Amino acid sequence: MKDVTFGQYYPANSIVHSMNPAVKILLTIAYIVAVFMVKQFYFLGFAACLLAVILITILAKIPFLKVLKSVKAVIFFVLLSAILQLLFNKNGTPLWKGGFITDVGLLTAGFITARIVLMVLGATLLTLTTSPVDLADGIETLLFPLKLIKFPVHEFALIMSIALRFIPTLIDETDRIIKAQKARGADFDSGNIFKRAKALIPVLIPLLISSFRRADELADAMDARCYAGSKKRTKYKKTPFTVSDFFGLVFMAGLIVGVVFLNGFII
Amino acid sequence: MEQIIAKDLYFTYDKQTPALKGVNFTVQKGEYVAIIGHNGSGKSTLARLLNGLLTPTLGTITVDGIVVGDKKTLFEVRKRVGVVFQNPDNQMVASIVEDEVAFGPENLGVPRKEIKERIDFALSAVGMQDFKRATPSRLSGGQKQRIAIAGVLALKPDVLVLDEATAMLDPQGRKEVLSTVQKLNKEQGVTVVAITHYMEEVTKADRVIVLSDGEMVFTGTPKEIFLKQKELKNLGLEVPLAVYIAQKLKEQGVEIDGDVLTQSDLAEALCKL
Amino acid sequence: MQIVSKDLVYTYSEKAKALAFRALDGVTLTIPEGEFFGIIGQTGSGKSTFVQHLNGLIPTKEGNGQLLVGEFDLTDKNTNLKELRKKVGMVFQYPEYQLFAETVFEDVAFGLKNFYPDLPQVDVEDRVKQAITTVGLDYDKIKEKSPFELSGGQKRRVAIAGVIVSRPEVLVLDEPVAGLDPVGKREFARLLKTLHATFVKTVVIVSHDMDFVAEYCSSVAVFSKGKVVKVGTPKQVFEDRVGMREMGLDIPVTEYLKDALKEKGVILDCDLSVESFTKAVAEKFAKNKGETDL
Repeated sequence: MKDVTFGQYYPANSIVHSMNPAVKILLTIAYIVAVFMVKQFYFLGFAACLLAVILITILAKIPFLKVLKSVKAVIFFVLLSAILQLLFNKNGTPLWKGGFITDVGLLTAGFITARIVLMVLGATLLTLTTSPVDLADGIETLLFPLKLIKFPVHEFALIMSIALRFIPTLIDETDRIIKAQKARGADFDSGNIFKRAKALIPVLIPLLISSFRRADELADAMDARCYAGSKKRTKYKKTPFTVSDFFGLVFMAGLIVGVVFLNGFII
Repeated sequence: MEQIIAKDLYFTYDKQTPALKGVNFTVQKGEYVAIIGHNGSGKSTLARLLNGLLTPTLGTITVDGIVVGDKKTLFEVRKRVGVVFQNPDNQMVASIVEDEVAFGPENLGVPRKEIKERIDFALSAVGMQDFKRATPSRLSGGQKQRIAIAGVLALKPDVLVLDEATAMLDPQGRKEVLSTVQKLNKEQGVTVVAITHYMEEVTKADRVIVLSDGEMVFTGTPKEIFLKQKELKNLGLEVPLAVYIAQKLKEQGVEIDGDVLTQSDLAEALCKL
Repeated sequence: MQIVSKDLVYTYSEKAKALAFRALDGVTLTIPEGEFFGIIGQTGSGKSTFVQHLNGLIPTKEGNGQLLVGEFDLTDKNTNLKELRKKVGMVFQYPEYQLFAETVFEDVAFGLKNFYPDLPQVDVEDRVKQAITTVGLDYDKIKEKSPFELSGGQKRRVAIAGVIVSRPEVLVLDEPVAGLDPVGKREFARLLKTLHATFVKTVVIVSHDMDFVAEYCSSVAVFSKGKVVKVGTPKQVFEDRVGMREMGLDIPVTEYLKDALKEKGVILDCDLSVESFTKAVAEKFAKNKGETDL
């Protein structure tokens, strides 16, 4: 898991990093829409999307390798769908006499691969340039309208932020418990799947119990600091809409127009 | 002025074994009171009663004349009495220091501009002003506890309750937290109620309350308490090492002058020999 | 089993360069068999990382130095870690958080059954009973209880029983007295002494409590910034006042008092224990008294 960058924040001082997370989430959605707007086999549209990814990566001061690595997380899925297309797409003409791979099959495989990879690259750029905390914050902002239908947006946001806050703590704790049980001769790496699952019990139970204890203590600490739900609560954190957000919007609008335009050209 | 008045406090978790059986005490405004007792003596229960996390089964506590445990005044009490708990990791809600400190004032509905001022005030009061944008999980235990104290200070409390707040820290962290608390007590006049089992911390208090099996057995200055070495031992408690050495020396015929509480007191006394 | 570490290096998150942290920066240290060995140093000095190497919980990679624990070469990938862990027991900080089983008996037996899967049930019972009794608990009263209904102190004892049940030759403890009250600390020290007098040949203990180290350890190593900066008897180690202060470490109360007297020109001849200190002071000042009386 450690080498997969998907969903890992890469801290840097860039205009992309400093953008409003809510805007960034919207722009990412817009980008994915743009990727889906590319008409079948009009690969120039993908070229425009790739150009956008490259530009954003440069602006965000992130090493390209870091962004590319994210594809690793979906490589199996990508290969599988490409191979399925190659093997079973019977439209078009075979590439060689009596061959089972057709030209349409090959094009479709390439098209699907490009679509998934570009989507993942875009989403990765969001998570690489936005810390999980900011991400949660952005989601909260975007969920705000749901308040109208009585959706507990504030509580939801707090749950997200507490979950994020406890991830490092629980990772440390898991590590410690695994080590403690290993020291008592526990074996997590051998045997069949059932044996391995059973071997995890001495880790999961202490982890579960300590999580309950932590939750209890946290509830006390929150109570002690006058927590009473969202009623009359104010919000300290404010993420303003800045010039870079404006440029982001213009940039993405440009990409969508470009894709629509390029949908008129076929290679 | 009496800030906290506890009268005949009685508390039971399960209706069988009472955790507190009739405790009476008062705490003066600006006082530094240490509460000691062996595990299960009821000292943590007392901390939870002080700001209404628990409600006394019988008896009353008042803070600045407000009755603790009444639903209507609950937040009035919690604003006045801040609690810092033992485990620094389990009392933080946010992943960024300033958001963490903002949590209390946000709950009270304090306007944003004032929250900002309170964060600055609270963080500088604990000497963590340079860590505003830091991530708590990357800080040391002592720093985390100072952030927790700042989180409480942002509520502008009159009383700071420390529920074994140094128990999980290393010596360095313990020193940091202890000197922060002492500074708040001396300079800001914050009343401190410190529950602890580190006898070295007790020496800093103005007054000590000793609990055993849910009852208050002694109260007095640290000096008075440490004279009762035998009684403390029977309660499963010990005097600080320096006090112990001083008493050993006296038994062996060395005349130790003055009241020894800390190792520097003892060093001074030894040098007078 | 002698422990020999040579130029041992370890870096956390080596791959993520921004987060990489070199916890061990060439640790060279020998812990002879039979020692009650203390390891001191500030938080982050590498002491916990080092002791976790001792039973292979943190792997020793090739090119990162050498580590020999008895006949086990930890740089060798083919070292049988299970055999090693049979002989090197490890008690973590707050060991009570590793309890998981339905009964105290099952929890204590966990390690034993892992290490000796073929041990007859009678022997398992026998060894578990002995371990529980050694840590000062009543076997018959406690064996069927759930570990989670015990008090904090009892939980910790049960956890320790779960480590010593496999009778390790080397017992490694990382901050075992953290969070204990003074009485608990003293009882724990007594338990360690008992163990050291029976099957545990070597004790390696990481501690922040200098008075504890001064009183019980036969040798001490001081860690600082991933290196061992001093090794010796507690007396030798604490003698280096400047070094101790520079590393942000306290000295035992008795040493502090000796310093104060030294400044006044009184040199005491005693070791670090409270008993020996008070005796020396009493002798000195009894003598002085005697002289003035003449």
